Amino acid sequence: MSIITVKNLTKNYPSPESANELFTAVDSINLNIEKEEIFGLLGPNGAGKTSTLEMLEGLNKIDDGSVEIDSINVESSPYAVKKIIGVQLQSSEYFDRLNLSDLINLFAALYSASVEPRELLAKFNLENKILAKPDELSGGQRQRFSIACALVHNPKILFLDEPTTGLDPQAKRNIWKIVKTLNKAGMTIVLTTHNMEEAEYLCDRIAIMDEGSVIAQDSPKQLIKDYANNIPERTSRGNLEDVFLALTGHELRET
Amino acid sequence: MLSKSQIFLVSTFIKIYYRDRQSLIFSIIFPLILIGVFLYADGEPSPTNLGLVNQSQNELSLKFTKLLEDKKIFLVQQGTLSELKDSLNSGDITALIIIPETFNQSGIAQLKLLLDASQVRQVDFIKDSIESTLLSIEREIRGAQPMFALELEDIKSRPQRYIDFLLPGILAYMLMNLCVAGSGYNLVEYRRRGILKRLFVTPIKPKDFIISIVLARMFIVLIQLSIILALAVGLLDINIIGSLMSLFGAVVLGAFIFLCIGFFLGSLAKTQESIQPIALLFTFPQLILSGIFFPIASLPGILQPTAHILPLSVIASSIRDIANDGATLINFDLNFLGIILWMLISFFIATKFFDWQKVNS
Repeated sequence: MSIITVKNLTKNYPSPESANELFTAVDSINLNIEKEEIFGLLGPNGAGKTSTLEMLEGLNKIDDGSVEIDSINVESSPYAVKKIIGVQLQSSEYFDRLNLSDLINLFAALYSASVEPRELLAKFNLENKILAKPDELSGGQRQRFSIACALVHNPKILFLDEPTTGLDPQAKRNIWKIVKTLNKAGMTIVLTTHNMEEAEYLCDRIAIMDEGSVIAQDSPKQLIKDYANNIPERTSRGNLEDVFLALTGHELRET
Repeated sequence: MLSKSQIFLVSTFIKIYYRDRQSLIFSIIFPLILIGVFLYADGEPSPTNLGLVNQSQNELSLKFTKLLEDKKIFLVQQGTLSELKDSLNSGDITALIIIPETFNQSGIAQLKLLLDASQVRQVDFIKDSIESTLLSIEREIRGAQPMFALELEDIKSRPQRYIDFLLPGILAYMLMNLCVAGSGYNLVEYRRRGILKRLFVTPIKPKDFIISIVLARMFIVLIQLSIILALAVGLLDINIIGSLMSLFGAVVLGAFIFLCIGFFLGSLAKTQESIQPIALLFTFPQLILSGIFFPIASLPGILQPTAHILPLSVIASSIRDIANDGATLINFDLNFLGIILWMLISFFIATKFFDWQKVNS
């Protein structure tokens, strides 16, 4: 059963070259995202991934087409949709002078939810940072905190925009583990990534976008079968990342 | 009524602003310095330096010299014509009086006054003072009784100094600056850093966000102005005649207006660099036109109707009426009407044009 249905979704921006012309960032795309799956949105920079996500999240105006999330129309009821989704943005900054506990409480209040900051942060290995400011966190900690903030109201669907970009292998694998755990507990997850290994490891299904259109949509296995079948099978050896992890360990590197 | 999440948001913003000690302290120091400067300037004027060349040295000229020296408003310095001319040129003295050899009681005794014409402001004043000195000598010599006496009385018959006029204006002006900077600059900064985007991923509505920030800022501004007011009353011996309730009421309503306008300006500004000139365009003309330092009545007539309806004018003159004349806030006069009108206008433009999304392009 699909929890997100995207039909002919279109986004136009004023063209950078001429003020009177429009540039189509998202060109009439269709997506069906199933309940409790991990869905990956892949594509080169400028393919329209972020615009698509923002329209799904009710952050960006829908120029044409429709999005239904859990049978709620995003365009007509954006606030109802915002209540059931959790969003982690690519670069998330927070109000100055608030610590993690303050911020968790603030986000919970915005959803009229109540949450115990220490308990939530503990799930993300951040309980000893409860009084720290986001600025004082490492990249991995920051990203985990960002996901924690998106979960204060226990959403049905979680959107992650490049959750592991810029992280070291340990922190990246740690995020993968969190995503898998959340998904096993029944959460639908939609993510974008440039890391193909990540997409292959995490996603049940993938849509590949280019120049505003979805050019392929299937499971990673099927996509490999369809488009990369004549490439010789990889040897059983690991890659350089496995070497790195074998040498430096899987434990998170942070204080 | 405020919802639970609004109350939480308000308290969170209060926390954010309260923890910013540096800006809290400096926003209090500045108005105090300003008030201090004006209080000092408002004190006893320092005497005007006058040069005097007495070429006559007869009884009449000595009498004139003595009477002139007795006047507290002048500091008379005698010397030769050439050295005092140098002093006048270098600005050490403001005017030079020459008593010629021919100065005597037969006919009209002629005096000569040398001035630096660039000191326009003082020319009339010096001329009048010297004339009145001459007149009193004349009376004395002729043995005439003065025909007129002038007694000065303030129509409001209470001790009021310039500082009493000034303080309400400065309070209102500080209020405007704190508020426009508070909401306008914040908005641009939060937007640039993507904080607003993160906020509007949640189900909060722009209206609720604006109300929350406005309430939190109002609270902080009220504390800041209370401190300024307490210090002004304590240290500078300022009289406040009306009730503090009315005074704070006017401050709160003013804060609301300027915070909302700040939001509007913050929504107009695309970048961190442009918010400053845009805010200045709003605040600076009002500093001149809103009767902060000088009454609106002293402006050119053509500007007066506009000046009276500016938001800073209605707030400043409300505060002044309360502080100086003991008026109440809610008295349905034009100022009160103006405040209500500006509250509606400012809230409308703040919510209507609110933009959390604008990107630098």
